[in-house]
Amino acid sequence: MGKTEWQLFYGKFIKANGYRVVLRGLVATLEIAVFGLLIGIFIGTLIAVIKVMPKYKRLPRILSAVCDVYVGFFRGTPMVVQLLIGWFVILPAFHLQLDSVAVAVIVFGLNSGAYISEIMRGGINSVDPGQLEAARAVGLPYHTSMLRVVVPQAVKNILPTLGNEFITLIKETSVVSFIAVVDVTKAFRQIGDSNYSYIIPYLMLALTYLILVIGISRLVKLMERRLAKNERH
Amino acid sequence: MNGINGKTTEETNVLIEVRGLCKSFGSLNVLENIDITIRKGEKVAVIGPSGSGKSTFLRCLNCMEDPTGGEILFEGENLADRKVDINIHREHMGMVFQQFNLFHNKTVLQNIMMAPLILQTKREIRETARAQVEKRAEAKGKKHNRFAMWWLCGVERIKVSKRVKEQVRERVKEKALNLLERIGLSEKADAYPATLSGGQKQRIAIVRALAMNPKVILFDEPTSALDPEMVGEVLDLIRQLAEEGMTMVIVTHEMGFAREVADRVLFMADGGIAEEGTPEELFGNPKNPRTKDFLSKVL
Ligand SMILES: Nc1ncnc2c1ncn2[C@@H]1O[C@H](COP(=O)(O)OP(=O)(O)OP(=O)(O)O)[C@@H](O)[C@H]1O
Ligand SMILES: [Mg+2]
Repeated sequence: MGKTEWQLFYGKFIKANGYRVVLRGLVATLEIAVFGLLIGIFIGTLIAVIKVMPKYKRLPRILSAVCDVYVGFFRGTPMVVQLLIGWFVILPAFHLQLDSVAVAVIVFGLNSGAYISEIMRGGINSVDPGQLEAARAVGLPYHTSMLRVVVPQAVKNILPTLGNEFITLIKETSVVSFIAVVDVTKAFRQIGDSNYSYIIPYLMLALTYLILVIGISRLVKLMERRLAKNERH
Repeated sequence: MNGINGKTTEETNVLIEVRGLCKSFGSLNVLENIDITIRKGEKVAVIGPSGSGKSTFLRCLNCMEDPTGGEILFEGENLADRKVDINIHREHMGMVFQQFNLFHNKTVLQNIMMAPLILQTKREIRETARAQVEKRAEAKGKKHNRFAMWWLCGVERIKVSKRVKEQVRERVKEKALNLLERIGLSEKADAYPATLSGGQKQRIAIVRALAMNPKVILFDEPTSALDPEMVGEVLDLIRQLAEEGMTMVIVTHEMGFAREVADRVLFMADGGIAEEGTPEELFGNPKNPRTKDFLSKVL
């Protein structure tokens, strides 16, 4: 790594305001991961609750079958393919005007919803069935009992796994440049492209992801400890 | 309300009437053709060997297990009918579990308040909104059609919801605090269940049921999971409720308690009620050899 590599990077990153592109890319990356996760938690919880519903009525059976198809599709195809289909197939087919970050958020949300539904189902099954029974026995409807009593306890149990899912999501966002989103990966690549010197930009890129991931791990640990304390006093 | 033999339930004072109740799990027939009538204020103890279907019987009364046959008439309504809204009736049937089942994610006070708060708020917002809309329509001498009514009530609900919510919360909280005071656990109001002893948990589970003003409480071995030194405090509370005239069905292994508190004892065996009678009859002079056999083992 000669002195010139540093100079090239420095020139592009600081003097030519490359850091602004990188910061904007970072924002896009976080936006996609955070909103994707939130949508994913919502969809995942919905699917999980449908999947654990008693099945002797017709509606839960139909809904459950729909969920199976949904989860099957999103777990059975690569993320990139889903992005490409969203951007190049669905959008033109319905004449929708959406910017590429929005499309990425939606696709990541739908995708992580499929994975989180499985995590959430495990979490719900890990909650003592007596909890649901006690809620039903006082006359609360099924969905209220689930959302007020069972799901909060399930979320607490799966918090570490959800943290992992978020980390996976952040790393997976590095493919969004396929649909013309400028995320951190794309931003650093542009810096490299501008003078055909990639060593420092790509090492910086790796460092950026590493810092993000470590930060999130810390945050999840902190939340876990908070919730555990809640239970004691 | 349609009652038995053309009389109203008020006249006969019947609270629950079970007719031909059957329950099977797959090919396992747990309950076969059970008939029993429970009157208001009555205390019924259910005893019998393990696996004889005591819990299943109790759980069929509020349809925690759906009966596979027969009828459960609660104040004249057949709860076994899937078209009946079971939730409305469960509000009037408290249930207390062997494992307490306090909500782990809620404080003691929240445990007691949650159900009445949610259910009464919903109901009162609906009723208040409707009353307001009707009052206004009457003042103007107008009569709304169904769609207008639906729309106006919806708008009105949003308007009244905050005020009604606060009113209900005040009331429910006061009641919950009174209940906690009654069992001497006021200072635990903001504690989480994980920090309490078994006896405390079960007493809180009992007042959680009381907070709904139930017409009957179903107990499934309320003291079986407790350390011996905590059994007394829980039985004392149940005894108090009995003296106050609460209708109760108690599955128990505490024969002494059953004898003291119950008006009637059911002995269950082989998927049915093998013998029933007053405690004096059943404990003092059992007729069925199975009852004799069972009592000789547990007494
Ligand atoms: N959900 C279920 N699925 C299958 N079988 C069940 C289920 N619940 C109960 N049973 C069976 O029904 C029978 C009666 O069980 P139940 O729990 O009512 O007995 P019990 O009289 O309450 O016993 P114990 O004194 O041990 O509590 C048992 O053979 C039990 O294995
Ligand atoms: Mg039992």
